[in-house]
Amino acid sequence: MTHSGPPQSATQTSPVLELCDVTVPGRQQPRLDGIHLRLEAGERVALLGASGAGKSTLLAVANGLLQPTQGEVRWSGERRARSARARRRQQARIGTLWQDLRLIEELSVQQNLNCGRLASWGWPRALLNLLLPLESEACTQALRQVDLDPHLLSQSVGELSGGQRQRVAIARLLRQQPQLLLADEPLASLDPRLAQELLQLLLEQAAAPRALLLSLHRPDLLQGFDRVIGLREGRICWDRPVAQLQASDLDALYAGMAEPGLTR
Amino acid sequence: MKPAAPLLLLLPALVLLPLLLLLPGLVHGGGWDLIGQFLLAAVQPSTDPVVLESLLRGLGVTAGMALLGWCASLLIGITAGLASSRLLWRTLIGHSWPAEGIRRLLAIPRSIHELIWGLLLLQVIGLQPVIAVIAIAIPYGALVARVVSDLLDSLNERNLQALMAAGSAPPAALLTAMGPPLLPGLISYGGYRLECALRSATLLGVFGLGGLGNELLLTLQSLQFHELWSGLWLLLAVMLSLEAVIGALRRRWGMPGRFSLRASGVGRRGRELLLAGLLLLPLVFGVGRALAIEPAALLHWQALPPLAPGGWQDALALPWPALVVNTVLLTLLAAALAVGVAPLLLLLVAPWPWGQRLLQLIWAIGRLWPPPLTALLLLFVLKPGVITAALALGFHNLGILGRLLLEGSEAAGPQRQEALRCSGCGPRLALLYGRFSALARSYLAYGAYRADVILRETVVVGLVAGTGLGSQLNQSLSAFAFDQLLLLLAAYAALTLLGEDLSDRARQRLLQQ
Repeated sequence: MTHSGPPQSATQTSPVLELCDVTVPGRQQPRLDGIHLRLEAGERVALLGASGAGKSTLLAVANGLLQPTQGEVRWSGERRARSARARRRQQARIGTLWQDLRLIEELSVQQNLNCGRLASWGWPRALLNLLLPLESEACTQALRQVDLDPHLLSQSVGELSGGQRQRVAIARLLRQQPQLLLADEPLASLDPRLAQELLQLLLEQAAAPRALLLSLHRPDLLQGFDRVIGLREGRICWDRPVAQLQASDLDALYAGMAEPGLTR
Repeated sequence: MKPAAPLLLLLPALVLLPLLLLLPGLVHGGGWDLIGQFLLAAVQPSTDPVVLESLLRGLGVTAGMALLGWCASLLIGITAGLASSRLLWRTLIGHSWPAEGIRRLLAIPRSIHELIWGLLLLQVIGLQPVIAVIAIAIPYGALVARVVSDLLDSLNERNLQALMAAGSAPPAALLTAMGPPLLPGLISYGGYRLECALRSATLLGVFGLGGLGNELLLTLQSLQFHELWSGLWLLLAVMLSLEAVIGALRRRWGMPGRFSLRASGVGRRGRELLLAGLLLLPLVFGVGRALAIEPAALLHWQALPPLAPGGWQDALALPWPALVVNTVLLTLLAAALAVGVAPLLLLLVAPWPWGQRLLQLIWAIGRLWPPPLTALLLLFVLKPGVITAALALGFHNLGILGRLLLEGSEAAGPQRQEALRCSGCGPRLALLYGRFSALARSYLAYGAYRADVILRETVVVGLVAGTGLGSQLNQSLSAFAFDQLLLLLAAYAALTLLGEDLSDRARQRLLQQ
């Protein structure tokens, strides 16, 4: 991967996320193999694939956690920044909803929501937030957006139910105000009703200039997405609008009935 | 307004503010060139074969004393620990009052530092290699006993009740139901005590009981810093190897079974344990012979000098309030320094991976470097007193707490820190929020326990830095004023037991929240 400096003036038309020929090696076979992907502002894209297909790796590359050995990743037209400060600014525009949520159990809901703002806060504010949770108004608004009672702000995250925790994690994303929303199997282990509700919430938040890339196990939850990408063995098997998805596409992904890579 | 967990972790570091204000007044000006020479000598240790041979011999004696003291303390500790277990007595005779009595008795040897035991035995028996071994074995044995009985009493009793209900004899039921779950905790703690024993044996050497500690003191006093660093690097190599081996064995013996359910695991572990135990026996006898340990020497007591007339009045006339206040102040300062500075330093070096490696090295030196020698070194540039002593004691305990914090931080997992970094958070804030949140309470709880150990250790620096009960103890010992000594020991024991009680309460409160 090249590390030449980012173009400072990203154009309005640059995709929110762009992966060009991205490869990540694995032990026996590449975890990602020559991935090309563009995500435009306002687009909501689902990633489908069996376990081990490379969905989490792709998301890790998309949020900058993992650097590909080959190919290039651009966020709003910018390559990975060289300096730590610029890199942090770049990361602040990427919000990730983790499968295990990664909330801080020992802190209150409000302190957790404010974790979304830590990138722009200095030490004094960050320390003060641990003593007297800050920005109550903005946190209340974030909770309301995810249909949670603002009274929960002072509660410890450890005391919340599973559904409430999922919503708090989404509210933390809203506090971060990222341009790119990434979600790694956020609906796994949720009951169907809650999964549908939370998916709806995420889709609503992904209007332009934001974009959403979300990995899924369940094809029945694809309603509301613009595109769906099928991943198999680290390669994009197909990439098409949800309306054009065929049963045979899913078979190719999960049962191996068709040759992978036909529609790359 | 209630500070959140990560902020609690940083609060003890506030002690740095008054210390930084007071330190300039303590600097006496001379000796900076000596400190410079000492630091420079770290990269130019002596490689003179005669020096190395002498140091290696000293290291062998220290390691031997540590091994024998540790083995004896385990024997005493396991026996006394079982005897002071409420569960054991309740199962055998239906009452637990004998356990309560034995627990109270064990509090006395536990409250007196191994150095005091060593100095007392030195007065009573004379200089014998066995003294260091016994000096380690007595307080360590009482500490192990407390841990064994606490571990045993906290285990789930359902298996025991099931066996008893099926008609098993109480001793067989106890051994079968409680033995296996007790073993991992016991092995883990036992391994940790071996590391402590090596540090204690070095310390006892500093006070004339033989081994490498003595060599380190002599080289420091004669300003032979190159030779001093040869000894320190040797000791560091041995200590880090020991910590690595114990860590590996702890992972292999202490924790398996929970995740790996293979049937062969338990049997293989059992055989390995048995083999290790069997190998230890000839090693212990060999080391005992090499060090010319004669347990019979313990029976030949020297006549103590007669008490001076009016000695008790003199003892009561000592400045008790000042002695006690200085000791408590020294404890609090050293504990706050050790507990508070470790997370602060980790935060400071968070952006640089090499910074953490450097800290690990400094902490390792802090752990092995006996506090009285740090105090002596500090006296090159600082006036004696509570702060100088607290710095010496704080540095040593920082080495222990820093390592623990780092281990805890690694065990807490990187996920939350990683998530914060991915949202653009800086490395220091990600560490504070993401990792320190999870381990703040358990770390502070351990800090409370450490404060109680530091109170016991004040005697060690007090002897050198001229403050508190430790300093007075040294004077009374030198003057053979055994009446004063007795009162001082009683005061130390009372203070330590009170401190133990307070730290227990603090620990429970921290862990329950």
